[in-house]
Amino acid sequence: MLSLPVLFLLGLATALIGTLGGIGGAVILVPVLVLLGVDPKLAAPLGILSVAAGSLAAGPRQLDEGVVHHRLGVTLEITGSAGALIGALLSDAVPGALLARALAVVAVAAALAGGRRKGLRNRPQPEFASERLGEWPGTLGGAYRLGDEVVPYHAQRLPTGLAAMLGAGLVSGLAGVGGGFIKTPTMSEVMHVPVKVAAATSTFTVGITAATSLIVFAGQGRLDFRAGSAVVVGGLIGGVGGSLLQQRLHPAHVRTFLSVALVVIGIILFVRA
Amino acid sequence: MSGAGTGEPARVGPPPDPRAGRQRFLVVFLRLAVSVTFVFGVAELIAPEGFRRVLGILMVAMLIGAPLVRVLWLVIRWFRRGDLRYGLVGVGLLGVVSLGAVLALLHVH
Repeated sequence: MLSLPVLFLLGLATALIGTLGGIGGAVILVPVLVLLGVDPKLAAPLGILSVAAGSLAAGPRQLDEGVVHHRLGVTLEITGSAGALIGALLSDAVPGALLARALAVVAVAAALAGGRRKGLRNRPQPEFASERLGEWPGTLGGAYRLGDEVVPYHAQRLPTGLAAMLGAGLVSGLAGVGGGFIKTPTMSEVMHVPVKVAAATSTFTVGITAATSLIVFAGQGRLDFRAGSAVVVGGLIGGVGGSLLQQRLHPAHVRTFLSVALVVIGIILFVRA
Repeated sequence: MSGAGTGEPARVGPPPDPRAGRQRFLVVFLRLAVSVTFVFGVAELIAPEGFRRVLGILMVAMLIGAPLVRVLWLVIRWFRRGDLRYGLVGVGLLGVVSLGAVLALLHVH
């Protein structure tokens, strides 16, 4: 196992990047840990601990901002957590190389989908200026503030979103990553949710996915508390830092950052495979 | 409305945030959970050998429990406000996580 300061720094850096893009830090942390020689069976639970810490740390600030859509997150997380549960239980049966290649393709495809679009899909609407901000009760719609203006939105293609979340959950349980790198692009590009709302809602949902996976990993006796503490302490600091940076960035910059991060992840995963 | 003719001063800058004060409990709870988890994590790293495992278990329990308390709080809030559809969706989610806990316990035993 790596030294505690190295694990702390890795936890901090990956949670910061993961929270900023709403992708969870584990999709970077787990491949890096494996490349540095950590056993994949130990790296996966560490990745999930990093995801849980980053999600928890980002929560208060994202709630203050009013950018988390809880109804959308809870709805999508039903299939997400079910997938995580199945994936964690099946994690010994799927060849690691095959999984890593599949993840690489998904990451690069998500990066291309987000990166080719220019400008804002959800634009400020003056007639919604006095509309209630945040999520609208009883719906998968809402409004958020962009500068001094109000942007309304409504989630579309829910069945496709639910299917994608099942896949994200499976990946999370199998590989020990948060699945946010699938969830955020799905919400943003398929369901047409503004990228800031998608990133914040994804950060909320990966915390629940991580909780489900951690319960299973604890039952399997795969948690290394000493290494995990270093990753979690770094992850909490990185999560707070990422959420601070996220609210200062323009959505287009968040999307560009997300696309670059996904391409890097795809390359890392392919090299790993 | 505001501005000339209404007797109210013209509004400058963004409108007041109607979300102010909403979900305060959840924000305070999450801030507390972050602090407690951080303390457990640091304590696990510096505590004497005998206490480390307990502190590590408490840290992981916080990471598992905090998001589930958040969902539970949302479910209660939605039911109390008559948003039955999403209240039931939240109950379904907690059911899936509970199933995971049962399967994990079966694996242990």
